[in-house]
Amino acid sequence: MADIGEVDGWIAQLSQCKQLSEAQTREILMEESNVQPVRCPVTVCGDIHGQFHDLSELFRIGGNSPDTNYLFMGDYVDRGYYSVETVTLLVALKLRYRDRVTILRGNHESRQITQVYGFYDECLRKYGNANVWRFFTDLFDFLPLTALIDNQIFCLHGGLSPSIDTLDHVRGIDRVQEVPHEGPMCDLLWSDPDDRCGWGISPRGAGYTFGQDISEAFNHNNGLTLDRNVVTIFSAPNYCYRCGNQAAIMEIDEKLSYSFLQFDPAPRAGEPLVSRRVPDYFLVSYSLPTQSPRTVSDP
Amino acid sequence: MDNSGDELYPIAILIDELRSEDVQLRLNAIHRVSTIALALGPQRARDELIPFLQDSLDDEDEVLLALAEELGRGMDEYIGGKDWAHLLLGPLENLATVEETLVRDKATESITKISTLLSPAQVEEFFVPLLRRLSTADWFTSRTSGASLYPPAYPQSSDATKDELRKLFLGLASDDTPMVRRAAAKWLGPFVKTFSKQHVISDALPIYRKLSSDDQDSVRLLTVEDLIAIAEKLDPAEVKEQLLSSIRAEVGDKSWRVRYMVATHFVKLAEAVGVDIVREELVGAFVQLLKDNEAEVRTAAAGQIPGFAKLLPPEVILARILPCVRDLSLDASQHVRAALGTQISGLAPLLGREATTEHLLPLFLHMLKDEFPDVRLNIISKLELVNTVIGIDCLAQSLLPAIVELAEDKQWRVRQAIIEYIPLLATQLGVKFFDEQLGNLCMSWLGDNVYSIRESATINLRKLTEVFGVEWARGTIVPKVLQMGSHPNYLFRMTTIFAITTIAPTLTLEIIRDNVLATVIALVKDPIPNIRFNVAKSLEVLALTLANKGAEGHDVAQRRIVPAVETLRNDPDADVRYFAGRALERARAGEISETTIFGVLWVL
Repeated sequence: MADIGEVDGWIAQLSQCKQLSEAQTREILMEESNVQPVRCPVTVCGDIHGQFHDLSELFRIGGNSPDTNYLFMGDYVDRGYYSVETVTLLVALKLRYRDRVTILRGNHESRQITQVYGFYDECLRKYGNANVWRFFTDLFDFLPLTALIDNQIFCLHGGLSPSIDTLDHVRGIDRVQEVPHEGPMCDLLWSDPDDRCGWGISPRGAGYTFGQDISEAFNHNNGLTLDRNVVTIFSAPNYCYRCGNQAAIMEIDEKLSYSFLQFDPAPRAGEPLVSRRVPDYFLVSYSLPTQSPRTVSDP
Repeated sequence: MDNSGDELYPIAILIDELRSEDVQLRLNAIHRVSTIALALGPQRARDELIPFLQDSLDDEDEVLLALAEELGRGMDEYIGGKDWAHLLLGPLENLATVEETLVRDKATESITKISTLLSPAQVEEFFVPLLRRLSTADWFTSRTSGASLYPPAYPQSSDATKDELRKLFLGLASDDTPMVRRAAAKWLGPFVKTFSKQHVISDALPIYRKLSSDDQDSVRLLTVEDLIAIAEKLDPAEVKEQLLSSIRAEVGDKSWRVRYMVATHFVKLAEAVGVDIVREELVGAFVQLLKDNEAEVRTAAAGQIPGFAKLLPPEVILARILPCVRDLSLDASQHVRAALGTQISGLAPLLGREATTEHLLPLFLHMLKDEFPDVRLNIISKLELVNTVIGIDCLAQSLLPAIVELAEDKQWRVRQAIIEYIPLLATQLGVKFFDEQLGNLCMSWLGDNVYSIRESATINLRKLTEVFGVEWARGTIVPKVLQMGSHPNYLFRMTTIFAITTIAPTLTLEIIRDNVLATVIALVKDPIPNIRFNVAKSLEVLALTLANKGAEGHDVAQRRIVPAVETLRNDPDADVRYFAGRALERARAGEISETTIFGVLWVL
């Protein structure tokens, strides 16, 4: 185990959006442990997607770690420009404050997806070789798939699976592997809640869509109860630097009551104040990239 | 690296690494190329290393970039000093011709550095021929690099060479390739600065006119800075005679990007042309840019308002500039309004008290209600300038309602800007007025749902304590802060702890002992570990504060704080134990140094 002062040094360095050297990164990864239980109070966050400055904004809104407890539900990497810094900071925080930070696996925490959506290229650009990418993707295999807050609130990146009825089924999955193309583990990371009842085919090509009836049944079967069935949380404002969306986090207090905080992208030093308006004709044919919303299936 | 014992061993490795298959290794070796040169000695560095580097150009851009940088970093020292510095030009000339712009730019930067070391003879014999070769090479990358090397070469050349260089540069300005013409436009300004006045008129002006009427706007927009450089070389009468039509042409260019450049550099241009032309010509031009069709141009022009207004008498500002400012405050583009927001208060010192109250205050009030948060934010963060002109009383009276409203703004950064402005307001308003108008507001920020606001609120309380004194703090702030220690949500109980930690250094022994400690120590038993480890951090600060307060402070720390921290050191939670342990360690260390100082004073 690296000593605490050293890890604090890494965190301070990372908080300035500076990369750690390869050897330091390797040391962090070697130390990462498995699943940690989640107790309230905790602040639940969705996708970050390499938007490091918006992660900093998230901490400005929700409070610093370890003062505030955090649960991140995956998709730390890809699409944004700072996947390396984002995922390294989160892993370092996990390493230093294992009881204060929980990080789950998202569908982007995978070898295949990161080769297409940017994390692989970013590692190559910033470190000159793929070692860091390999360390991280090897680590991703160990990330927990879901979390259960005080036996009441079930949190995961994707959604439910037709092959899973109970939390014990989830517990039975051998999760230390690349995200498969199908099956329960894939569904947990890929499925989406939907307005239509029952199971549906996911337009994203993996996982399923599931209706309110499904989540109600799941919650009932597993003794989970709350006034809302499903909450989706997305924590990357102005997604891909162009969607213009707000981001949100969910604060759950020690009595399990919750509130939402919305936020805008962090102002960025050095980026131009004015951007040319996008001509209207461009907007007409423009649609949002498929995003994978994080689901808190909240029983 | 230069340990004498095994000196040869690392050198052999570095030289091997220069030839390695692995890019990373080659890169490392290049970054240590001066070490290699040092070890080889000047003779071998000149005879073997430089030729080797000159030939090793078939490499990754990353390696070439590193090489271009290292060659300009005092390499001359290792090859025998200035007399040999021209040898470095060889590899750099090759690097200045490659395709990657970053490499070429770094190479010409290094050549420029090295050129300052060269004697006139070396310039004539080595630098000028290099410049000639680059400027007339077949491939445009060389010619582009060439353009950047005229400013360093020219002052050191003979008159005959100077004549030649001006002609060669004209050739670049007339090049078929826009990239080369762009480079000529970029470097004409610095080049002109080295000209004698006679040659400015005879040579620089024709080159400028050629470039500024280029059919590519990407070339034209770079000539704005050339125009300024030329104007700086001429006296006002000559500017009027030679440049007036050019200024008009640039301001009225059909491409918005050119007008944008003019707007961005407007103050510099105005300063270069002299007062008369500013009054006669540039006021009109500036108004035209402030009313431009393109929001980008208006934004850039808005950024120049106070700088340009400084060059004008107040009546001209009122008559010509202010009407435009009024229009811009209602501009359809939020970016224009935001840019105006950061600049408008700069007019206050120029207009003086009366005109500011009459003309600017209404605009501030209006812009403080802008729907775009950046506009509100920019206005607030620059209010201090106005404050010094019209006085806080007047400002507070007219703006206080708007400030109170913004204190609850949806945008947390707007709220934060207001908080940062509060201590200044407090000093001016006095206790009574402050308590009535702003007291509750300051407390309500402690319960904000955004962490940064809660944090700013605690810092604000410390600053207010510095303004109004500890007795005021004991009566007004402390009870409300302590009250939040029993909030059901841990994030808000945390605020109590943070607030105490922040204001502790300003508090007296009595307040800490009688009012604060009980609440903090009660939180040692908080069910949430996050509270408990912040209690530990807070107790650390309190102990150090008390250590400053003589024997009684020391006694309170010993009796009440140390046992509480000891309890936390045996906490079931690892983080609590860690921070409690650290607190004990630091409190002890602090105590030792304090008692030492105390002891010394005692002896004296």
